[in-house]
Amino acid sequence: MIAIFKTRLIHLRKHIFSFIFWLILPILATLFVIYLTDKLQEDSKIPIGIVLEEDSALSNDLYEVIQENPLIRVYDVTEAEARIKVESHELDSAFVIQKDYEENILEGKRNRLITSYRSDMSFAYIPVSEMIISYVQQETGRAKTALTVMNLSENRANTWTADEIIAKSKEIQEEENLLRTSFSYQKTHQSVDEEKESLLNNWMLWAIFSVLSTLLVSDWIIKERKAAIAVRYAFMKYSLKSYMLQNLLLYTCAFFLMDLLAVFIFHFLLDEPISLQLILSLIVFRITVNLGSFLFALLFRNIYFYYVISFIISLILAILSGIIIPIEGNVTMLNPIHAFSQHSLLNPWLFVFILITVIWIMKGESDA
Amino acid sequence: MLNVHSLTKNYGKKTILQDISFTVSPGEIIGLVGENGAGKSTLLSIIATLTKSSSGDIYFNDLDFKKDRKAIRKKVGFVPQDIAIWDNFTVEENMVFFEKLSWEKKNNNQLKQLCLEMKLDKWKEPAGTLSGGMKRKLNLAISLIHDPVLLLLDEPTVGIDLKSRIEIGTYLKKLAKESNKMIIYISHDMDEITSLCDRIISIGEDPFYQEILQNNGKEILSF
Ligand SMILES: Nc1ncnc2c1ncn2[C@@H]1O[C@H](COP(=O)(O)OP(=O)(O)O)[C@@H](O)[C@H]1O
Ligand SMILES: [Mg+2]
Repeated sequence: MIAIFKTRLIHLRKHIFSFIFWLILPILATLFVIYLTDKLQEDSKIPIGIVLEEDSALSNDLYEVIQENPLIRVYDVTEAEARIKVESHELDSAFVIQKDYEENILEGKRNRLITSYRSDMSFAYIPVSEMIISYVQQETGRAKTALTVMNLSENRANTWTADEIIAKSKEIQEEENLLRTSFSYQKTHQSVDEEKESLLNNWMLWAIFSVLSTLLVSDWIIKERKAAIAVRYAFMKYSLKSYMLQNLLLYTCAFFLMDLLAVFIFHFLLDEPISLQLILSLIVFRITVNLGSFLFALLFRNIYFYYVISFIISLILAILSGIIIPIEGNVTMLNPIHAFSQHSLLNPWLFVFILITVIWIMKGESDA
Repeated sequence: MLNVHSLTKNYGKKTILQDISFTVSPGEIIGLVGENGAGKSTLLSIIATLTKSSSGDIYFNDLDFKKDRKAIRKKVGFVPQDIAIWDNFTVEENMVFFEKLSWEKKNNNQLKQLCLEMKLDKWKEPAGTLSGGMKRKLNLAISLIHDPVLLLLDEPTVGIDLKSRIEIGTYLKKLAKESNKMIIYISHDMDEITSLCDRIISIGEDPFYQEILQNNGKEILSF
């Protein structure tokens, strides 16, 4: 093994920079794509202005709710600025959270809490105002319910007619409904967020680049198998097959070290959690991809044809993984990186690859 | 001692080699001649255990070619007709690369010495930039790293300058006489064959080689 390692070093010294480049590519490319899509998303956000006339818990809450919307970028402005900037279309629209906002809410008043500015080109006005209305309804509803319950208990001594109580409960129910609608409104927002994230899953993206780089680095298999040198292995300590399998192991280890590096880099830069499950699924993924690339490269004699097919395979994987267009259903099972994206330790492809490798080794024993 | 007995090789219905028998003793250089397509490379490849014969027996000392291929291969040095070196490696890297994979351990000094013995002195130069003669020398040196006792050379001097050709010939002669190696040597150069070889095997239908070699006093086996 050490002997094979030394022969590999002689090879690698000749193209060390391209080797390191391909090793590191999955990490760099993933970070680059994530950065790029983040930036694109940032640029496509709709600018709206918010005028905060009072600094209270409820007004700040509303401000934050608006700010959290992934499609909106909030600018703090004065009312005068808001008017000018909406007029000049610098802002899509603007909303003034009025003075006494909190007091009015707590008293259950729903009028004149917010003033808005819009132009004929305000795209975000309707969704944002709906969001605000729903939020305000939720808050006023909550305040009103609290008020009612307080009143009920205070006035226990007083005489309430059944009609009055029914009327009251209907009123509360209505408020409750308002509450519920605003909840579900928020909920749909959340699920939209989750979907978006799974489309651009960091590890999925990395896995696709990783398959590409592994395929391209595996070109040594084609180069060294077809070389005139191959005949020499008959007279050496290691058969060509043993030489290639040991090199496969070395390459797999080198790649796995880079995988671990990816775990740490993604943890610190992309907040990806580190877990034993992740590491174990990475090992399964790494063995699957390297073994698969190895067997695949054995099918080729022409190296340029192999490069072209490698790019096509990566593209197909990207499509199967739903990176380019969303895909669902059974096709995901055909995707060799699907198991890894679920951090699963059971990849059916691995068993297929191991089986083919064993057959390949045994076939070699007879004609070695 | 190499003992080839009644060897036949067919490719499909086509018989390439028929009933070939000969022996090679330690210290002997055997020349193998014949027209293109006569089956010289095929015969050498069978003796190298790379190709199986259709019938007949071959023994190397006590080792049977049918059963002991692995043990025989340790003793065989095969110099392929196509130059089998890493063009992008230097001479040194080529030698070290194959030494790592070899049965025999040798240090850099010994490897360098091996090259120098056949006047291959471009130790640090990329093999791809070497002259044809130097490449052929390297091709030979690599095959000698594991100290084989049976050396099989398939046109080792084809298309190179006279000086390199003589240097390689001189070296082979020295290997046979001083190290008692058995050498089987394919060449189209009759001067080289007559000056180098103790005996000559001529195969193929064309009587040209037999006639040309008739009167130089060397033993010729024709098949
Ligand atoms: N693997 C093979 N299958 C079929 N025919 C072959 C094979 N290898 C060699 N031959 C044929 O055997 C004959 C002898 O080839 P070879 O030994 O290379 O001749 P030489 O080295 O004397 O020029 C040729 O006619 C060649 O076409
Ligand atoms: Mg030939």
